[in-house]
Amino acid sequence: MAIKVGIVGIGHTRFGNSSEYDLADVMAYAATDALQDAGFLERRREIDQVIVGNMASGMFCHQSGVASSLISRMDMEPVPAELVENGPASGASAIKIGYMAVASGMADIVLVVGGEIMRKVSGWEATDLVATILHSEAEYDMGLTLPAFGGMFTRLYMEKYGLTERDLALLAVKNHRNGAKNMYAHIQAPCTIEAIADGPEAAVVNTYVAEPLRMYSTCPVSDGAAALLLVNMDSPKARDFKKKPIRIAGVASATDTHCVHNRKDPLRLEAVRLAAEKAYKMADLGPKDISFAELHDAFSILELAISEEVGFFERGKSFLAVRKGETDIDGRLPINTSGGLKSKGHPVGATGVSQAVELVRQLRGEAEEGRQVRNPKYGMSVNFGGFGNNVVALICAKD
Amino acid sequence: MIDFSMYGAKVPTIKAYKCLTCGTVYYPAPMVCGKCSTRRDPVTGKGWETFDLEGSCELLTWTRVWNLPEGYTKKYLLFGIVQFENGLRASGQLEVEDPRIGMKLNATVKESDERPGNPVNVFVFRE
Amino acid sequence: MAIDEMEKKLRPPQILLKPYPSKVITLASGEKMVVREARREETGILLGTIYPLIGVPSDFYDIVAARMYAEVLGWYRYRVANEFVLVGVIDGIIAGIVNSRHVSSKLGMSLHTLAIKRGLRVGAQLFAAKMENHIDVLGEEEVYIVAESPNGFKRWMIEYQLEDRSSQYPEVRSELGGVPTYVLTRKLWDAVREVKCTGTRPVPEKDLKSAEKLIMPSEYVQIPGFKR
Repeated sequence: MAIKVGIVGIGHTRFGNSSEYDLADVMAYAATDALQDAGFLERRREIDQVIVGNMASGMFCHQSGVASSLISRMDMEPVPAELVENGPASGASAIKIGYMAVASGMADIVLVVGGEIMRKVSGWEATDLVATILHSEAEYDMGLTLPAFGGMFTRLYMEKYGLTERDLALLAVKNHRNGAKNMYAHIQAPCTIEAIADGPEAAVVNTYVAEPLRMYSTCPVSDGAAALLLVNMDSPKARDFKKKPIRIAGVASATDTHCVHNRKDPLRLEAVRLAAEKAYKMADLGPKDISFAELHDAFSILELAISEEVGFFERGKSFLAVRKGETDIDGRLPINTSGGLKSKGHPVGATGVSQAVELVRQLRGEAEEGRQVRNPKYGMSVNFGGFGNNVVALICAKD
Repeated sequence: MIDFSMYGAKVPTIKAYKCLTCGTVYYPAPMVCGKCSTRRDPVTGKGWETFDLEGSCELLTWTRVWNLPEGYTKKYLLFGIVQFENGLRASGQLEVEDPRIGMKLNATVKESDERPGNPVNVFVFRE
Repeated sequence: MAIDEMEKKLRPPQILLKPYPSKVITLASGEKMVVREARREETGILLGTIYPLIGVPSDFYDIVAARMYAEVLGWYRYRVANEFVLVGVIDGIIAGIVNSRHVSSKLGMSLHTLAIKRGLRVGAQLFAAKMENHIDVLGEEEVYIVAESPNGFKRWMIEYQLEDRSSQYPEVRSELGGVPTYVLTRKLWDAVREVKCTGTRPVPEKDLKSAEKLIMPSEYVQIPGFKR
C-alpha cells in the first residue's frame, strides 16, 4: 500500500458555550485556524476534499447539510464536501474517511472538520437528544440515557474489581489539572480530591448523576469545533507545507451490538479492543510503544476501561496505576493530557478531531508549559461512539 | 371480518423473537438471523415466531439516575439490566427498594408516555 | 434615638428572627465558601455587589439583580418586613447572595438567588441554605417559590419535587407575581435535605475571620472587562 498520510495543520476553538453562534461559523473558525497553521489559507480551493464530522445538527440546531454550509462560509466552492456521522465518534470517523480519501489516491489534500453546538437546547433536551443513539424500542423508550449505561457499567466494574468512587474522583483531579493549562479547554479550573471525594461536603458538592457516577465523573455539555489538514506525504504538494507532518500511523474502527444488554460480556468493550488491534497492526506497533493517549472519558470509568482494552493495563488494574500517578503528565503513560472530555469538554461531533489535535500538539512539542509530554513518539486516541458500539482508534507518529 | 378484540382492554407486552429454522431467540428483533441467516419479513412474519418477554429474571446491574431527560418530572429513576431464564437480556426501569446485583426479579410491562411521541411499552422490573 | 410617629407608621411590624448559624462548604475547586447571614451595616457592600448585574440581560441577571437590589434596600430602610439575607463568601469576596422573607411562623416567601461566581454551583448551595434557614432554623412549614429563569425554575421543580399549587391561584400566590406558585413543604425538604444541603458547623476560626469583612467582587465573568 503505502501512501503516507500526514497532518500539516490543526485548528481548535475554545470549547464551552458558543450557542449564540451558527454551527457552520464555529466550524469555519476552526477550519481557518487549521489552514493558517498550515500556511494554506489562500490556497484553500486546491483542497481536494472536505470531510465534516457532526452528530446531530438537525436536532440541536435545526440545521442539516452542514458540510455544504461550511464550504460557503469558507468561500471555497467548488471543493467537494460530505458529512460523516458516527454519534460521538463522528470526529474520528471523519478522520478515518479523510485518511481513506488520501490513501486511496483520490485526494492529495483533505480538510477534516468536526463540530457540534449542543447548548442551544436545555440540559434535559440535550440528554434526550444524545440518547437517540440508543436502540429506540429496547433502550430509548425505557427512559435510558448514556449516563444510565455509564452508571450501570461502573457498578459492575466496581463489584468485580474493587474500584472506588474516590478512584474516579482522582481522574477528575488529574484531568482538570491538565485542562486548566489547555487554552482550548471548556473548564479551566482545577478541582481538589478533598472537595470532591474526601471532605465532609463532597457527597453534595460532587452530587450523583447516575449512581455510582458523580458530577465530576461525567463530562460537561459543550459547543466547539476542531480541524485537521491531511496531506499525501509523498505528493509534490506536500513540500509546500511549513510544518513537518505528523503521520497517521494507524486508524481503524469496529462495531459491537447496538443494545448494551446484548454485549457478550457486559464488562468488555470489544469494539475498542478490535479497533485498537487493527490500528496497532496498521502502524506495526503495540501498546508498549504508545507514549501518551487521549481516551474518551465521557464518563471517567471509560478512561479506565478503554485503557485496559487497548492493552495499556491488565483488565481491572488500570485504577491501581492511576492511584500511583502513572497516567499523570509526568507519569509513565500520560492519559488525557488535554484534560480529556471531562475538562476539555465534549461537543460530540468535534471530540474525535479534538483528540487528534491534541496528539499533534504534543508530538510537535507545541503543548502549553506544564502539560507537555517529554519527547513523545507515538500518540493514540480512542473515540467512543454510542455506548461502545462503534469505536475508532487512531495512532499518530512523529517520524 | 374485523378482529373486534383490538378494541378491547390492552395489556402491554414486549415481544421476543424466535427463528423457527434454528431455534435461536432474540430481543430485540433482528432482520437476519445471526446464526443461520434466515431472513425475517416484518410484514408476513414467516419463519419467525414471537413470544412475550416477561416473568422471572435476574438483575445483572443497575443505577439510580438523577439527571433524567426532557419530559421526565421525577427526582430520579432506577434502571437495570436483567437476564431471563431463556438467556435473553433486557434493559428497563427498576421499581425495587434496595437493588442488589444477582437479585431475582419479575419483569412486567407498562405503557408510558414520558418520552415524546406516541405511548410506548416499557419494562418495569419488580420484586 | 426615638423613631418619630410618621416613621413608625411606615415601618412594617418586625418579628425577631432566629439567626442563621454560619457554615462553611468546600467547593469543588478546593475554595472554602462561608455561608452566613448578612448584617444591615453591610447593605452598602451588598448593593454595590448586586448593582453591576442590573445591566446584564443574559440568564435573567438584570431582573434578578434589579429586584434583589430593591429588596435589600427595602430591608435596610425598614420598608420590607422580616427579610433575611444570606451571603456566600470566598476569601472575603461575595460569591453569591440569597434573600427571602419570613412571612409567619408557618410560611416563608423565597425572594431571589444571585450567583456571581460561576461554575461551582454557588447558586445551588445558597438556594439550599436559604431553604435550610426557612424550614430547619426558622421552623416554617412551607415556602412559596417562583422564579424568573425558566431553566432555573424547572431545575428546582424537578430536583426538589416542588408542589404545584398553581391551581390555587390567587389564594396561593408568591408576592413576586411571576409564574403560578410552587411550594416547598417540610416533607419535601426532608426528602432532599441530604442530597442538597451540606456544610460544616461550626465554621473554623480562620474561615470565619476571612468572611468577617465582606468585599465586593472586582471582576464579574458575566461582564467582560468590568471595572468598578
